[in-house]
This record gives sequence, structure tokens and C-alpha cells, in this order.
Amino acid sequence: MAEADTPLLEVRKVGKQFPGVRALHDVDLTVQHAEVLAVIGENGAGKSTLMKILAGVQLPDSGQILIEGKSVQLSSVKVSLDCGVALIHQELNLAENLQVGENIYLGREPSRFGFIDRQRLNADAKQVLSQIGLQVEPTTPLSELSIGQRQMVEIAKAMSVGARVLIMDEPTSSLSSAEAERLFVVVQELRQRGVSIIYISHRLGEVRALADRVVVLRDGKNAGMLSSGEISHDNMVRMMVGRDISQFYARKQVPVGDVVLSVESLRTATWPEHELTFSIREGEIVGVSGLVGAGRTEMLQTLFGIEHPVAGKVIVEGQQIELKSPLAAINAGIALVPEDRKLNGLVIDMSVRHNISLAALSRNRLAGGFLNRATEIRDATQMVRDLRIKTPNDAQITRFLSGGNQQKVVLGKWLSMKPKILLLDEPTRGIDVGAKQEIYHLMETLAKEGLAVLFVSSEMEEIMGMSDRAIVMHEGRITGEIQRADLSEESIMQLATGNANAASTVTN
Amino acid sequence: MNAKSLGIFGLLVILFVFMVLMTSDPWTDIFSSTFLQSNNIENLLRRVSMYGLLGIGVAFVIITGGIDLSVGSIVCLAGCLLGIFLQVDYRPAALFDVHLATQENNSLVVHENAVGRYDVGDKLRMYRGRQPALLTVKDIEAVQLKDREGKSLGIGTVMTVEGLLRDEDSGQVAKAFDVLDFGQAVGDQPAWVELAGVSFRLSVRDRVSFFHPTLGQKDLVVHSASHSGDVTRIDLSQPLGDRFSKEWMAMPTERRQRMAIPLAIISVLGIAGFLGLLHGLLVTRVHLQPFVVTLCGLLIYRGISRWLVNDNPVGFGIEYKETLSPLGSGKLSLFEWSTADGSQTFGIPYPLFVFLTASGVAVIFLNLTIWGRYMLALGSNEEAARYSGIRTERITILAYVICTVAAATGGILFALDSGSISPSSFGNFYELYAIAAAVLGGCSLRGGEGSIFGVIAGTAVMMLLNNLILLLKIPDRLEFTIIGLVILMGVTLDETVRRIAARRRAMKSAQT
Repeated sequence: MAEADTPLLEVRKVGKQFPGVRALHDVDLTVQHAEVLAVIGENGAGKSTLMKILAGVQLPDSGQILIEGKSVQLSSVKVSLDCGVALIHQELNLAENLQVGENIYLGREPSRFGFIDRQRLNADAKQVLSQIGLQVEPTTPLSELSIGQRQMVEIAKAMSVGARVLIMDEPTSSLSSAEAERLFVVVQELRQRGVSIIYISHRLGEVRALADRVVVLRDGKNAGMLSSGEISHDNMVRMMVGRDISQFYARKQVPVGDVVLSVESLRTATWPEHELTFSIREGEIVGVSGLVGAGRTEMLQTLFGIEHPVAGKVIVEGQQIELKSPLAAINAGIALVPEDRKLNGLVIDMSVRHNISLAALSRNRLAGGFLNRATEIRDATQMVRDLRIKTPNDAQITRFLSGGNQQKVVLGKWLSMKPKILLLDEPTRGIDVGAKQEIYHLMETLAKEGLAVLFVSSEMEEIMGMSDRAIVMHEGRITGEIQRADLSEESIMQLATGNANAASTVTN
Repeated sequence: MNAKSLGIFGLLVILFVFMVLMTSDPWTDIFSSTFLQSNNIENLLRRVSMYGLLGIGVAFVIITGGIDLSVGSIVCLAGCLLGIFLQVDYRPAALFDVHLATQENNSLVVHENAVGRYDVGDKLRMYRGRQPALLTVKDIEAVQLKDREGKSLGIGTVMTVEGLLRDEDSGQVAKAFDVLDFGQAVGDQPAWVELAGVSFRLSVRDRVSFFHPTLGQKDLVVHSASHSGDVTRIDLSQPLGDRFSKEWMAMPTERRQRMAIPLAIISVLGIAGFLGLLHGLLVTRVHLQPFVVTLCGLLIYRGISRWLVNDNPVGFGIEYKETLSPLGSGKLSLFEWSTADGSQTFGIPYPLFVFLTASGVAVIFLNLTIWGRYMLALGSNEEAARYSGIRTERITILAYVICTVAAATGGILFALDSGSISPSSFGNFYELYAIAAAVLGGCSLRGGEGSIFGVIAGTAVMMLLNNLILLLKIPDRLEFTIIGLVILMGVTLDETVRRIAARRRAMKSAQT
């Protein structure tokens, strides 16, 4: 048995470099026996990279990892598991076509004469399942389980290999509040049984309720540590952001103009049973809040003509438009910065210039369909300058830019076309703090120039900091609108969960 | 030209030099190179041009992230269709279908009303029938034809004729003419004949079929004809022969080409374009995988081609020797010089002009028009292109249309070059040559990458390899093996170089 003062796991000055970005820079982390250590930080702060290194998915470029004082090389997932470190991914890694027991022992099936010993497999699985209090038979097909139950299967799988450090990456992101409650109980039980848990979450309420200690990462570096007495919402945010929130968000109320976009009884293909009705004025920034899967992205995609609306009217500057394609939306003056810029926003292997010009090519074309290279270069140069895109030149392949600069390229593509309505889906996801602030500043400037901005965000602070008005959605419908003066985490959460009582357990 | 195309151009140059040295004897005397012989170079240029067309076409599809396996079958279909559209036959004057001929009562019954076209005293002959005899009309009358059940078969003509040798119930009969006068060819003067009562105007490339009861038959081509009153004087392109006399009878035939050449070419390309449109629609609207769609195309078009021509070889014969065929097999002669083996010429094969034009259009289209940019963008990330307001489906369909039209253009040239094609083997595996050339030339099968210059160089490398096997007397059984190995080496090298470059670039940008 190790001595109490030798940490179970110690990370010393670990660094990791990716193309175009330094993900981790001399990061230290210590995990004591039987503790819940929360690791928090903004998107892109390096949490996931650090966890992947611990799980043996990626190798660090520099630094040292010690387990019970002994230096180890976590060169593969298997080595990490042998050392007792198991990672439960945000997206669960289970085989849907197999049974629960088979999933738990996948790749390590007990065998007799080369055949799988089903009896032993199921007996063993049953024991592990009962340990964590999941009441399902090992022979149940995984596909019959809820997301929460599947997560428990993942935990059972980790426990069955004798994990002593369990890494949970955003475990509640797709759970209902009841399932999340159940998870918290299991986490506490595991700690009592001597298992240490590294808990990664954006939900600061959960962290405050669960964690013994909090380590904050920012821009791939240690930003600080909070011991149990110091864990408070404000302290965590201040460390994550690196300054006071009031300075961070630049939104100042400005007078708004006429209604630019008016959505009347819109029914989306995903949630055809609910009608969406709202409007945005010139110079207004409207935030759309809600839990993951509330139908926010679907609403933006419908407004941009990606998904066809089932019914309803969309009116831009008094003219009803038919949203039959993105082209129709663009021609009406609507632009969308999508949630996943690598998937939908950018042709990542094309140059900055070609990405910026892509949507405007047709509008600027010369007779005979020839490219207007002069306009192309002029627009790209202007956008790189105006948006302060950090790139050696506009011929640089977009892949080699940092997340924030990539996002600015997507913005540049639309701003060069002078849209009237800017739709932004999670505009600051996966970009660093500095770039975030620049994006906020841009939103601010654009609104001042008269654009109507509608942005979806899962970050509470962003909604509260940037919106003149927030629309809150829950399961495909708009549950309410909140004016800037009335914006608070509580008011948003109540509408976002569609249930005032359930909301308090997560946010408190 | 980007750095990636440079690799393939390098390979091309190395291969070229290697070929020159390997085929020279001694190796210092490059003029002795069999590789550099003018006909070898001409042949190489011709092949590069024809295969290059296929490569460029398929490159467009590959750039959009698709594939077209039907290229070889489209080549075959285009060749067969061209043969069908340009089929030529010769029809004599006043041709009627035989209903029945009975030797016993000297009666000949034909379909349709022949009164007015035939007269008492006219001589008739079975045209392409088994009845060799010359018939003379003695009596003629239009009647209503009935079959045995008394059902009407429409109007017909009953004739009493002299000279029937046997009964007939099929075939055709046409009018034969006496030769009034004739002259043999003398010096520059062509041979000529005079006929009376020819009802249609003969002109160049029509033919006259001459026959004699015992001496047989010969078909001669008309050079020119003049009509004065009832007499037609015909100048012939060929000599009549010594045994010709006034005892011979003449049957002038009118040349009928199914379609004019431009119309035939446009039709072939149009049909190919339509098939490309179908490929594109199946890929974009029905969401089938390009591989599957075009694999089915490969099978279907091959089958259709064989069925259309009954699995018989399709030839263009001498009919187009001076008009269309040179487009495939001819050359623009530039130099002529004499050597020990006689005089030699060097010229630019005509297909090269087609190819250079097509390449030029392709380069401009891909690099200078918005649609070319759209293709590159959607090949790299279709979703991002769609989110930028690009009608990705239309652009994808366009790529498939370009591919099949290019393949059909290649097919026309291949068919004209070889003169006669066999529908079961013509164009086999050509899709693989095309795809290999595109891949060698830097097209990524993942889409979004590719340059026309690269594809041209890729095709040239393929053809050089083919030539190398021939000239170095490597067993041609190994041809595919060698080509396969070279492609494998090429892409491996390319991928390795790219990886190193990307890593270096990443490191550099991380430091800044």
C-alpha cells in the first residue's frame, strides 16, 4: 500500500504540440488517492489533450508521468489500463450490436479452449454491474439501454479492469437531470471505495457539488488550483477566463432599429409539432440558449435553408422569402457561421483567400462564368486586415490556422458579402480566450453597423454577456424570451429545462 | 503548376531519357534510338492524346470525390454508335420489294404501285437477291394485294416478265440500264459511260453497278455525272476494264449515309452526355455510390454496344478514308527527309489537336471559372460548399457529364484510328488507364485535388511505360504488372513527400 502522501498520479511539465497550436505547455497535475479532482477550462484549454495523454491515446512531447511515484510511459491505451487509468469518452465507445456483458469484456473475453466462456463472462459482468448499482442483465442488448445506463456500462467496464483513476470527460453532457443525479451518486460511491476520479465538465454547478479540488487550465497552461474551501462559481470563472467577466464581454446596449428578420409560426423538420415565432431588429444581438438537443441548431439551419421548413413564414425586411436552399437564404441577406467549422464552415484544405471568396464567387463572377480574381484578392485582403486574421498571407491553407483564426475566415466569407442577418452557431467553440474576445468584439461592431445578430451558445456567460435579449429553447420550442436586464443563470436554466424544479439541482 | 505536379513531370523526363538511352545503340548515339523514330513518337503522341482525353474527363469526376468506371464502355458505345450513325448503303433507282415471283407463269408481283416507274420493255434485276437473271417487263398492272385469308396487303403491281429462273418470295427488284456508249480511261481522261432514262441525278461518290450475264459484276465509283435530255453521261473514278462492252448492263446506285458527319458526332456526344447526366442524377438525387452507379454503367453499356451491332465488328471502311478517318489516324506532316531506308516524315497526329484543345478548355474551366472552383471546393468538403450557397448537386452532375462526353470524344478517335472495332473488346480496361493517369497526375480519390497538367503527364507516363515494354522486348504479359508497380511507387512517394512537407509546415507555423 502506498503511503498517504505519495500521490496516486502525478503529471510533471507535460507538453504537447499539434499542427498550428501548442495544446499543452508544461502542465502539472496531481491526483491524490480517493479524491474527485475536477479539471475545468474553456474549450481549447487543453483538458481533452491532457486526458488523452493519460489514457494512452496520445503521447506527450515532453514531461513526465508518475504513478505512485514511479515514472511510466503511457504508450498505448493498454499500458494505461494496466497502470489503472481508464478514460470514459464523451462519446461512449460501446458496440451497440453487442450485449452488455460482451461490451464490458470486449477484447478480454474469458475463454475456454479458444471459445468464449459465456457463463463466466455473464457471471463476472453481473458482479461488476451490481458493484456500481446498475440493474440490468448482462445479456441485455446494449441498444435497449438509455444513454445514462450506457455510461454506467462504460464505468463498469473500467472497474472490471481494476481502474484506480477514472477519467470522465463531460459525463453529463447528454444525460437527463435524473440520470445525472444517479451518476453523481455512483461517483461518490466510487470515491468511498478508493477510486480517484478526474472529472471534466463545463457545468460549474456540478463541479462545485462534486469536486474535492479543482484544477483550472487556460490556453494549455496551468491557470491555478482551488481547494475545497475556495471552490465557488466566480473563482472558477475568473481563473478560466483570466480576468473579470465584466471586462470580458463588451456588449453595451445600443439603440436598435427596425425589424429585419421576422419568423412566424415556423415549424422545423426536426420538431414539426412546435411553432417558432420571434423577430430581430437592426443592430440587435439575440442569444439563443438551451440544453444540447433543444433544437437551436436545427432552427438556424432551417433559417439558412439547409433544412426545409415544414410550415411558417420567414420575413426579411418586409419580404417573405422561400427558404428552399442556402442560396435563397444568402440572396435574402442571411449568413450562417455553422457550429462545426471544419465540417460545414470551411474547405479546410483550401487557402484563406479561396475560403473567404467561396460564397461570393457567383455574385462577383465575370461574363462567361470566369472568376473575378481582382475582387477575390481585394475582399480577402480586406477581411484578413479587418478581422485581424493571423496568417502569413491569404494563400495559406486554412488547416494550418488556429481555431480562432479559422472562425474568423468563416466570418470573413460572410462579411465580404455584406449580409443583413448573421446567424452564429456556437461561435466561440474550441477557440482560445483571446480569439473569443475578438469574436465578441466583432459581433459588437457588426451590430453597431446595423446587422441583426442571432447567436446560439451553450455557454451561459456568453449568453448573459453578449445578448440584448435571449431566446431560450427546450425540446424544440421557445420557452421564453429574457431581456438583458433580467438575464441570470437561474432565469435561463428554468426556461432551458422546461421545469423550474429540475433546473435548480444542476445549477446550484 | 504546383509542386505536386512537378513530381510526375520529373518522372516523365527521367523515363523519357531512360527510353532514349536504352534504345540507342551505342547508347551515346541518340539518333540511332528506335524510341526516337518518327513513327514511334507520332504513335506515342496519338495514344497520349486519345487516352489523355479519357484521363481529363475522369479527373473531373475524381476531383468532385467520385469515380467513373464506365469510361471504357462509353468508349466502346461511342465507337459503335458512330459506326451505326455513319453507316452507308447504296440504293438503286426504282427499288421495289418482291411479294412473289412464279417462274411457271412468268409473273412477278411487287409491293406498292410500280406503274409509271417501270414500263413495258424495261429491264429489271433482283438487287442483292439470289436471282441472277435479267428480267424484261412484258406487261404491267396495279392491283390490290391480298393474303390467303383475303386480308388486304395494300396496293401492289403484277408484271409479266421474261427470264425468271426460279420462284421467289422475297428480295428486291430494281431497274437496269443499257449502256448506250462508253469510253475507256485515256491519260488524264477518266472512263465514262452513257445511260438513258436514269431518273435521279448522280453525283460524286455514288456508284454504278455493272454486270454481265457471264462475266460477273463490278461496282465503280462515280466521279461526276452530267444529264442532257434523257441521256446521262457518267465519268467514273476507276477504269472499266478491258472486257467491258455494251453487253454489260448498268445499275446506278445512290449513296445514302444515315447521318451527316457533324450530326453523327453531335449525336454520339449528346447520348454520352445524357448518360453522364443519368450517372450524376443517380449519385446526387438517389444518393447511390459513384462506384456502384458507374460499375453498372460499365456492364450496361458494354452489353448495349454488343447488342446494337449484333456482336459484329464495326468498320468505317473506305467510305470515310478521306473525310473523317484522318481525324483519328491522320497527321499533319511537317518534315520530310530521306534516310537509308527511304524517305521519312514526321507530322503531328490530328488527335493531338483535339486533345490540346480539350486540355486548354479543361485548364481554363478548372482554374479560371467559378464552376471549376466549385468542383475543387465540393470535392474537398461538400458540406462546406453547400453551406456557402453552392448548388453542389448541379456541379457534381456537370462533372459526370464532362467525363462521359470526354470519354465519347476519345471513343470516336479510337474508333476512327483503328478503323474497325470489335464491340466485345474495344475499350476494355480503358477506365483503369484513365483513373491511373489521373491518380498519377496528382488527383486524390478523396476529392478536391487535381490538376490537368498532372493528368496529361500521368497519361504520358503510362504510355511511355507501355512503349518501354514494347521496345525493350519485355514480355507484354508483364505489362499490367509493371504499370501497377510504377503507379504504386508514384503514389507512395507522393504521399511520403506530402506527409513530410505537412509536418515541416506544421512545425514552422507552431513556432510562430
